[in-house]
Amino acid sequence: MSAAYDVIGSRVPRKDAAPKATGQAVFIEDLRFKGELAGALLQSPHAHALIKSIDVSKAKALPGVVEVITAADVPRVKYGVSPARYDEDLFAVNKVRYVGDEIAAVAAEDLETALKAAALIKVEYEPLPRLLSVEEATAEGAPWIHDEFPNNVCAEVHQEFGDVATAFKECDLIQEGRFVSKRQDAAFIEPNQCVAIYGQDGMLTLHSSTQVPHYVQRTVSMVTGLPMSKVRVVKPYVGGGFGPKAAATPIDLAASFLALRSGRPVRMAYTREQVFSFGRARHGFTHEMKIGVKKDGSLMALEHRATLDGGAYSSFGIATVYYAGSLLGGPYKLPNMKYDGRRIYTNKPACGAQRGHGGVIARALFEQQLDIIAERLGMDPVELRLQNMMETGDVTCNDLAMSSLGMRQCIEAVAQGSGWKQKKGALPKGKGIGIACGFFVSGAGYPIYRSETYHCTVTIKADEDGGGVKVFTAAAEIGQGSDTTMAIIAAEALGIPYDMVRIESGDTDFGIDLGAYSSRTTLMTGHATKEAAENLKEVILGELAGELGIDRRRLDIKRGLVKIAGEAVDIAPLRVRYQKEHRGWLSQPEGGQLTFNEASRLACLRRGTLVATGKYKPPVLGGKFKGAAVGTSPAYGCSAQVAEVSVDMETGQITVERVTDAHDCGQAINLTSVEAQMQGSVAMGLGEALFEEVKFDEAGRVMNPSLGEYHIPTIMDMPAVDCIVVESGEPNGPFGAKEVGEGAIMPTIPAILNAVRDAVGLTIDETPLTPERIYMALKKAK
Amino acid sequence: MLLPSFTYHRPGGLAEALAMLDGFGGQAKLLAGGTDLLVNMKHGKQAPAQLIDLDGLAELKASGSRGDALELGAGLKAAAIAGGLGGAAPQALAQGAGALGSPQVRNRASLGGNLVTARPAADMCVPLLALGARVALVSPAGERQVDLPEFFLGPGLTALHPSEVLTRVLLAKPRPGEGSGYGKLGLRKALEIPLVNVAAWLALEADGKTIKEARVALGAAAPTPMLSPGAAKALAGATAGDDAFAAAAFAAAADARPIDDHRGSAEYRRDMVAALTKRCLGQALAQARGN
Ligand SMILES: Cc1cc2nc3c(=O)[nH]c(=O)nc-3n(C[C@H](O)[C@H](O)[C@H](O)COP(=O)(O)OP(=O)(O)OC[C@H]3O[C@@H](n4cnc5c(N)ncnc54)[C@H](O)[C@@H]3O)c2cc1C
Repeated sequence: MSAAYDVIGSRVPRKDAAPKATGQAVFIEDLRFKGELAGALLQSPHAHALIKSIDVSKAKALPGVVEVITAADVPRVKYGVSPARYDEDLFAVNKVRYVGDEIAAVAAEDLETALKAAALIKVEYEPLPRLLSVEEATAEGAPWIHDEFPNNVCAEVHQEFGDVATAFKECDLIQEGRFVSKRQDAAFIEPNQCVAIYGQDGMLTLHSSTQVPHYVQRTVSMVTGLPMSKVRVVKPYVGGGFGPKAAATPIDLAASFLALRSGRPVRMAYTREQVFSFGRARHGFTHEMKIGVKKDGSLMALEHRATLDGGAYSSFGIATVYYAGSLLGGPYKLPNMKYDGRRIYTNKPACGAQRGHGGVIARALFEQQLDIIAERLGMDPVELRLQNMMETGDVTCNDLAMSSLGMRQCIEAVAQGSGWKQKKGALPKGKGIGIACGFFVSGAGYPIYRSETYHCTVTIKADEDGGGVKVFTAAAEIGQGSDTTMAIIAAEALGIPYDMVRIESGDTDFGIDLGAYSSRTTLMTGHATKEAAENLKEVILGELAGELGIDRRRLDIKRGLVKIAGEAVDIAPLRVRYQKEHRGWLSQPEGGQLTFNEASRLACLRRGTLVATGKYKPPVLGGKFKGAAVGTSPAYGCSAQVAEVSVDMETGQITVERVTDAHDCGQAINLTSVEAQMQGSVAMGLGEALFEEVKFDEAGRVMNPSLGEYHIPTIMDMPAVDCIVVESGEPNGPFGAKEVGEGAIMPTIPAILNAVRDAVGLTIDETPLTPERIYMALKKAK
Repeated sequence: MLLPSFTYHRPGGLAEALAMLDGFGGQAKLLAGGTDLLVNMKHGKQAPAQLIDLDGLAELKASGSRGDALELGAGLKAAAIAGGLGGAAPQALAQGAGALGSPQVRNRASLGGNLVTARPAADMCVPLLALGARVALVSPAGERQVDLPEFFLGPGLTALHPSEVLTRVLLAKPRPGEGSGYGKLGLRKALEIPLVNVAAWLALEADGKTIKEARVALGAAAPTPMLSPGAAKALAGATAGDDAFAAAAFAAAADARPIDDHRGSAEYRRDMVAALTKRCLGQALAQARGN
């Protein structure tokens, strides 16, 4: 525990630990409302087709059916994630673009009836050519999936920082490589679900399993036409998000319309199969890189091309294609960087954001190339990285400012912790060790829509009896632990024990909070919470100072006790007042110091309810070039990992035996939570490196839409992970804290790639590293 | 994705179960752990109007030996078999049961269900084939016994008649000088349908070197779990060891008729049949030699 803090940096149990362990935590599935209707979607069986006609008469006639709606019944409002690419209709207008595209929704007395009714809707289709790959979508004469986007190009990025061509001329060594990855599913444990309720007061309340109550509120408001003040979004506990839950879903919107029309609560839920066919997780990427270095190993220039298979809609894809380039600006000094990226529409579910947004595969290829460069130069990969890494105060060629960067500590920690020196080059065939680094934003510098809004506001209210405080925030606890983080920050800032802080979160009625994405909550909502807590402390101590007739500056609160600097003050009269109010109570404040309870109670008696607020938005950040907003952040987390693997040379099976993982989170708010994020990142990165791939058949249907056939790691696949928490002290973060949520995944895939390369002596340029892929590469090399 | 509606029956004994099955005349399905049946029903692949739950039948849960034979009740759970049944379970079968699904699935999944589902790479079917097992099929008309090679007819297809219950699996009791082994290859280390799986059994002559008899069973190599005649031939009479095992592996790969699908290519599967055959024979030999 950091000496300077009482609660921060400790291992206090999470606020949700007991409810989740005992099954008392409430998820959408546990909420029940009077008169609920069950909703169901009709989704396209075709990957690409014109809709000739829709006949809902049979569905409407089915007993028990209450509402059937199609595009004809809702306002024609295009929506999406980024206002620059609102390319989605809630229900298909004339055309479907992927298997699963929404055509209609039904509300009925029970789910069985709703499903039956959806199946009774008759749709006449005229199939169009299916474009299931980037190659097909960009071929000469391919039809356009969206009329507005010629040649199926959803987004293009062309950036150059410095002068790449000139820099290459000065290089001693040029290394070129290519890498292909597959579409992922985030495999969150709780499929999306929601309940919409339209009250007689004209309020629409949507309970939804989401990462972003605020953006859902905005989208529901925009699409339904209700003012935002008439839309409330509430998020109970959520079983994971990882990115794909960072936008309103078709069921959020459809349930809202069905509730508006029926006046009854409407529940809609995705099955696991529908989660897969809705997509919105990690894109399939193809990267090509040319890297130039000097003989001494100094990185000089990067020329980088990326192609993203986007699926049928934009979702987060514009940000993704920018991130895929911008996140190579660090953590190494790279003076010249050129990037050409494009995202292509295809007739598959849309891809979007997933942990390590846009940067993970670019990082994988870049780090793999660094190892090859090290080998070609006869350098140790650790040395090459140490030589090129950035330090606190450095600014990347694309204007990302490293206000704190413990890159050196991370690299040195994993090299030492793993026994790198003894192992690298000394392992038998089939065993390998690899290192990789990464960095990531600690919160997006700008909201998804252009606005000067605060990114978060927090309210803290003191309990009237003085016994504690309650924090109200719209931030989204989705399992990552933000409730606990905010409670710790409030406790520290107020100077009271952690268990005196209660928290209510995830409700748009509590203020604005952009939500759980871009690893923003600890830094941003943390700032707002800290400010609110400090303001509340100010109010309480101000009242106390008035009561005692002393200067406010002599007062402070620490560990629940009031500290009075300077000469002794007689607290007895205050204590007596407090005790008189509590006649009959067995426990009474004692000792020579006033307690927080006494001070806070007194302040309440003088002022009535005590409420204080806090807020945060980042300062203006980044460069002036097009797309400069993507990648800017008030701070950057960084990490390094060493993976040790063994490869079964007869079957190609890889076992990751150990990962030594160091992450610079600025300052751990809760050490256990930091380590949990690191462990979780390794699990997720390992799955992506070794197993995971969403597969499609020739009709564009997902072939493995279950967690039986889409392979995420089990506990049996997990290596021992040694977590080393590095704390560089981030000046722009609350109490020095910055992210660990997404940055921690960046090195995992390349560390495994580099370890496998070390083990088998081959460079594999495609994930997942299935036994077959490894075995076939070995066989071919023989 | 909703479970279709059905009527649930819980017979008190085997005779009652058989009578019910007969009475419903093809409308009913037997339910054991439900880890195949209920999943299929949710996916709309099956919609029986009546389910007869066998899980409560003590007659199907027994295991024991009768003379040289080992009898395993069809209702035994994979978890129990993986635990070795007090040392009675042959090594390859215990390994196969232990490799099936996850602990939760193993607590529900039954031996009988695994055999009747008859997946080409089912984790208990492949070892039982190598172990030379037979199944006892009982109907109101009486009992018949069928060797596994005749029992498996195709993916999901067996010689079981609609009026029959699979009650027991019969195998030879493991003897000294015999051993078996099992190998499963998948992407991850648990909760995995095999890409390829292999089981081997062998018996040594009294010299402890010469192979008297051996069987190698292959999964995901054909529409049903299959025996490799070539491997058996290569092993019989050979001196146990790397050379014989390599020859058997080669023969097994030649017998295998795997397909290309999204999980893996035929070429890879064939090569893995060879790799796993060698390993399983190694395990079997180690057991046969008592180490
Ligand atoms: C998540 C998951 C993972 C799995 N992983 C594996 C795996 O790794 N390896 C593997 O091999 N399998 C696996 N399975 C499949 C399944 O668990 C096994 O096949 C299991 O042994 C089936 O047994 P059960 O008792 O659940 O059968 P049920 O589902 O109850 O029955 C299956 C079929 O057998 C019939 N049946 C059952 N008992 C009898 C009987 N005594 N007589 C006649 N007919 C009978 C039923 O009528 C039904 O048709 C998995 C399943 C799930 C859900």
